[in-house]
Amino acid sequence: MRKFRQLTIPYLIWALVMLLIPMALILMYSFLEPGNSIVHFRISLDNYFRFFTDKDFLVILWRSLLIALKTTIICLLLGYPIAYFISRCNEKLQGILIMAITVPMWINMLVRTYAWIGILSKGGLASWVLSLFGIKDAELLYTETAVLIGMVYNFLPFMILQINTVLSKMDKSLLEASADLGADKFQTFWRVVFPLSLPGVVSGITLVFLPAVSAFFIPKLLGGGQYFLIGNVIENQFITVGEWNFGSSISMIMAIVMMLLMMLVRKLDKKSGREDM
Amino acid sequence: MDQEKKKIIQFKNIVKKFDDQIILKGINLDIYENEFVTLLGPSGCGKTTLLRILGGFLEPDKGEVIFDGKDIAKLPPYKRELNTVFQKYALFPNMNVFDNIAFGLKIKKMSKDVIEQKVMKMLKLIGLEGYENKDVTLMSGGQQQRVAIARALVNEPSVLLLDEPLGALDLKLRKEMQYELKRIQQEVGITFIFVTHDQEEALTMSDKIVVMKEGEIQQVGSPQDIYNEPVNKYVAEFVGESNIIPGRMIQDKLVRFDDHNFECVDVGYKENELVDVIIRPEDIDIVPEGQGKLSGTVESVLFKGVHYEVMVETVPGTHVTVNMHVNRDNANVKEEGDVRISANDFYLDIEDMKNWDESDLIARADAQAWSKETDEYFPIQRVDTDLKDEIGEYEVTFHTVNGLSISRRIWVVDQKVVENKKANEAVSAFNFFKTVDEIKESPALDTELKTWANAQGWKLDDESETVDLSVDYNFDPEHIKEGIYKVTFWTTGREFKIHTTDYVEEGKEVGLTFFPEDIHVMEKMGF
Repeated sequence: MRKFRQLTIPYLIWALVMLLIPMALILMYSFLEPGNSIVHFRISLDNYFRFFTDKDFLVILWRSLLIALKTTIICLLLGYPIAYFISRCNEKLQGILIMAITVPMWINMLVRTYAWIGILSKGGLASWVLSLFGIKDAELLYTETAVLIGMVYNFLPFMILQINTVLSKMDKSLLEASADLGADKFQTFWRVVFPLSLPGVVSGITLVFLPAVSAFFIPKLLGGGQYFLIGNVIENQFITVGEWNFGSSISMIMAIVMMLLMMLVRKLDKKSGREDM
Repeated sequence: MDQEKKKIIQFKNIVKKFDDQIILKGINLDIYENEFVTLLGPSGCGKTTLLRILGGFLEPDKGEVIFDGKDIAKLPPYKRELNTVFQKYALFPNMNVFDNIAFGLKIKKMSKDVIEQKVMKMLKLIGLEGYENKDVTLMSGGQQQRVAIARALVNEPSVLLLDEPLGALDLKLRKEMQYELKRIQQEVGITFIFVTHDQEEALTMSDKIVVMKEGEIQQVGSPQDIYNEPVNKYVAEFVGESNIIPGRMIQDKLVRFDDHNFECVDVGYKENELVDVIIRPEDIDIVPEGQGKLSGTVESVLFKGVHYEVMVETVPGTHVTVNMHVNRDNANVKEEGDVRISANDFYLDIEDMKNWDESDLIARADAQAWSKETDEYFPIQRVDTDLKDEIGEYEVTFHTVNGLSISRRIWVVDQKVVENKKANEAVSAFNFFKTVDEIKESPALDTELKTWANAQGWKLDDESETVDLSVDYNFDPEHIKEGIYKVTFWTTGREFKIHTTDYVEEGKEVGLTFFPEDIHVMEKMGF
């Protein structure tokens, strides 16, 4: 047993170097003043202070959270029925459908997002479809809607896969038991299937919300620089402006916000896991 | 059963297929009020399918399910007034004991007070008072089982379906639950339909047992009926232990088996009808040699706790052993250009020498000619032989059209016959020749060995009556090499299994006795 435990040491060191040290560096940077060098540096809270006193940044943070929330809700509303449908198919069809959902993920996310520019641009596929319904000259590209479409498109598979895993593993005899006790399909769904699928819903929400909050190239490409999110701000600080310290502190703020949100979601999950009537 | 009782369920000609496989072959069955009915049979006999049809989880391809006078075959499960206890309980893991039991009542939108009252009553019935807030996933198998029963019973169904509910429990708990289930059934006074493959469980609990086999009902009756008067060999073998002996009905109340006539109590069979006779092991007594109705040798004695299980051989088996000559694959093949010819040496019985022709010899030698390239067969054009109607060794030559020929030997012998007067039977077989590939590639070796050796068994007093033979051999068919091997054809001797509390020595000659009413005569099963 002891020997076995010793085998984990290289992995722990690896994890330390690759995960902890970059995090520690970002944490350290976030508390340093700009222009510091190894020779002299001063610790201060200026970066954090700057973020919370600038209304523009707070608006962008709020906007990021809001669009991530919208993305998550849309993914859940679209993903749950799809996952449910897949889980009710026979095994062979399930395999094919899961495959169909994962295939786009084989292609680089950036490339897929570029494809949407084509679809959403003037005279593209989307405006042609809308014109069929009588909506002429719809401006789609470089709007919030475009960003939302891009995010839902990119993150929906994560939601479907998480929920489908839970649903397809669910003991079918529970559904029979529910029907046997007099529950019709609708009642069975709300009283048995849905409560039991919540763990999948929670991990689906986590996997969609987190990348959605900090996404930066989807808003960059589909929002066309007019739709700025917190991920773009961070990117800007690091790449364009070169203020690593300020960028680091925004990253830290985001990390804390996300952590708090996830804790909230897990708490809700625990509460609703048990049926209270 | 009581004629006053009302039929609550009627299965009428239920047929169910899965992927072209017929699972239920026209089931007709009536179930009455307040009965404990058990569907008994091995896995795959259709018992669970029948239960699931009743529960509404499967739709029959044909037939009617009459419940309380109405056909419910197409009704969804949630509209049926019966409840099921599932094989693995299927308790809702997200609810506690109370919510699980209350599930059906909440669906019916009963008031909170009524629900609480009913659930508490159920908890009392199953002996789990005070457990209402427990997490069902943390309970033992037996407790989960009880909750599952309560969850079904609380809906006050007129019929409760139980699908092998005790299968997942250990032996002691299973026994406990058997009594518990019977008690609950008597207390609530409704019909229980119980599915099991455990004959003991069925005998212990049921008012009525339905024995099923391959989608058909074999027998319906009380546990006593099923055990004492099984209708056929299958039921007798499935329920309890038994000696099953092939016999013949001489006349009413007189049956012949083991070459003796015995008085019995069975009537209504045709004269000389072939029947199966069953005698339960506990109905046979061991008496000193010469005093019983049958005599035999004690073969084995096993201590079983309450009793000894004694095997007595009343008739020894018959054996005949022959040599199988195995040749290399190409030893009996000749080729010239594109043509190949092959044939085996073989034995012939002097009895068969009276009339034979060339085609017989070709068949016995398995003589064949074919093209190496196209695998196309050529006819054997001519057969030359000096074969005579005398015991001896002869030569035979097979010729093809293109002039290729192969010579083989024929031995004319007096066929080996082993007579067994005590068993009233005889067995005969020939030595034979085969190649390695023929044995390796045989799809049903036991049957083919009998054909190759021309092995036959018959009754001495009636040669037209054949006797079944078994085959033994001392080689591994998959890794056989050339050489000579022994193949034995044999009949089983007749043995009786006896349960007795008195010890007997192995090897002792004893007599066996039983009463006429312990002989149960059954119709032969049709296959």
